[in-house]
Amino acid sequence: MEFNLGIFLDEFARTFTFWWVILPALFLGLIVGAIPGFSAANTIIILLPLTLAMDPEVGLIFMIALYASSRLGAGIPAILVNIPGTAGAAATPLDGYPMTKQGRGQQALSISFVSSVLGGLLTTIIALLAMPWLSQVAYYLHSVEMIVIMIFGISLIASIAAKDTLKGLIAGFFGLMIGYIGADVVYETPRGTFGFLELYDKVPLIPALVGLFAISEAFSVLEGESILSKRGKEAMQKAGWAEAWEGVRLALSKWWHIIWTSLIGLVIGVVPGAGAAIAAFVAYQQSKTFSKTPELYGTGHLEGLVAPESANNGVTSGTLVPLLVIGVPGGATAAIMAVVLQYHGVTMGPELFENHAHLAYGAFTAMAVTYAIMLLTILPLARYMSKITVVSTVYMCPIIIAFTLVGSFVPRAYVFDMYLALAFGVIGYIARKTGYHVAAILIGVILGPLLENYFLRALRISQGDVMVIFSSTIGNILWVCLVISLLLPWYMDRRRKADRLETN
Amino acid sequence: MSDESQSGKKSAVPKQVGSELIIPVAAILFSIYYFWTIQSIPWEAQVSALLVGLVLIGLCLVFIGRTLIQKARGEVALGFSQLLNPAAFIPKRLILLALTLGYILIIPFAGFTITTFGFLAAAMLTLSNGKKMGFIIFLSAILSFGGYLLFIAAFKTRFPMGPVESALKGLF
Repeated sequence: MEFNLGIFLDEFARTFTFWWVILPALFLGLIVGAIPGFSAANTIIILLPLTLAMDPEVGLIFMIALYASSRLGAGIPAILVNIPGTAGAAATPLDGYPMTKQGRGQQALSISFVSSVLGGLLTTIIALLAMPWLSQVAYYLHSVEMIVIMIFGISLIASIAAKDTLKGLIAGFFGLMIGYIGADVVYETPRGTFGFLELYDKVPLIPALVGLFAISEAFSVLEGESILSKRGKEAMQKAGWAEAWEGVRLALSKWWHIIWTSLIGLVIGVVPGAGAAIAAFVAYQQSKTFSKTPELYGTGHLEGLVAPESANNGVTSGTLVPLLVIGVPGGATAAIMAVVLQYHGVTMGPELFENHAHLAYGAFTAMAVTYAIMLLTILPLARYMSKITVVSTVYMCPIIIAFTLVGSFVPRAYVFDMYLALAFGVIGYIARKTGYHVAAILIGVILGPLLENYFLRALRISQGDVMVIFSSTIGNILWVCLVISLLLPWYMDRRRKADRLETN
Repeated sequence: MSDESQSGKKSAVPKQVGSELIIPVAAILFSIYYFWTIQSIPWEAQVSALLVGLVLIGLCLVFIGRTLIQKARGEVALGFSQLLNPAAFIPKRLILLALTLGYILIIPFAGFTITTFGFLAAAMLTLSNGKKMGFIIFLSAILSFGGYLLFIAAFKTRFPMGPVESALKGLF
């Protein structure tokens, strides 16, 4: 599995000849990524008859282009209307949406696109070069280590709820309890399901996302003429190409930020099951911790938008690493890609590099080429898509409600999921109006089942000894990192205050 | 928006924070219900939820206690204006909520296209106070039929099916 530069360059040039596959997949990915409920995984499943009929290489390029562009597409509604297209973009509105409300929607989209494309491109190239080493990460992370990673995720709640930490923690832990609804994985006993069979398989994520973000937002913003303030609307109406370019310039000025936050995404992406949502929130928290202006996060801060967008695109290439090298998919989309390739008789793992090297390297070059082509779409997309924000709430609110509710129906085809989305909408509306952050609730819902699964596994292995969570060297190192990451913001805040006192 | 207006009047009228207790109270009730549902299952399957639930109840009690102390000092009141303001929009919100509930009730029978058209037209007319009726009906028709073409005809998405979808099945 030695890296071969000749093969890489040859693949890169050859992949460009597949532009006719990449372009339609790219635009399809942008659309499905932007609509809650239409993830890349769902779309690839819907298009299985098409991808199975294609040549394996063409099929793989099509799926990868769709996957990469859907990640970018998910950030568009997150920024413009505070509705993340997928859970991976749930951290994007924290600073993206306040920028839109200030009339800087075009700039925010440009920043998001540049961060996504550069973050994705960079991590794809790094993943290609470091594939043999990165793949080892998954071997060292067992249930104990994963518990610490999940608790890392929970600690993010405090960083999001900067205004009132107590409210943030209540929202996050409430989300965790909601995430615990369903039958437990070992004994299959229903817990907290209110008697609904539809909840035995845990709380589905899409209705939670749709309700907490879309439905609650639609009910909240209808008291204004548009989602923009009066000044924001004037700024948006005057905005031209210069604003889009300014966004590109601002994003490029944070090139170092793009690099290190996208690397967080890459490493988390390699861990099977961790996913883009955790990566985006971890990157957001770390970005805020090391920022010179943490108080600006949540108000439309440049770094607060760059971090989650770079990280969730870093995950995209990360999830392919364990799939290709050891045959373990890093996420749902990667798992579906494995199914398609296995249908064509392609075996994942070390054999892939021996027998189908062009496919193994081709996966990453296809992703790199997709990101390179996406560079060309940044300015026109930012320029014209941002205009959606000046649409009156009279039209916007009903459209959001109708299309996102039906989006929550799509993954399981249960009408129950539409009711569930409405219930989450009511919770989200109350949370928004009373100062509880909906993103903190969502993090809880995402992490609840994961934390419980790993906890249960660790307890089974240790025969019920709770101290098992301190039994691994890597786990203990991660515990120390966790404590440091929790104490560091407090220490840095104190130091900043002391510096300010000195200068005054 | 309401927060800003509230803070402006802070000195004269105590901030109404009764609605801030809804989520902590709901969280406590849900946690107790959850504990009740896990009482007969093995300890291993209980422990994680017990830890999280007890922390949640503790946090909520601290928050409720903090609010009650503030109330005793006269710093806050236990009203619900934070949730309900601006009052002028309460009827529109309730109608929109009723329409949304109606949308979910009807869609399994009438299908995506008809139900979406009806919901969009009714909701937009409610929010616009009945203005621009012609435009709203035209827009609702375009959006619902466009949705049908994109999601059902082109992407073959699993949307709720009804008479329109069945009738047009042969065409697309």
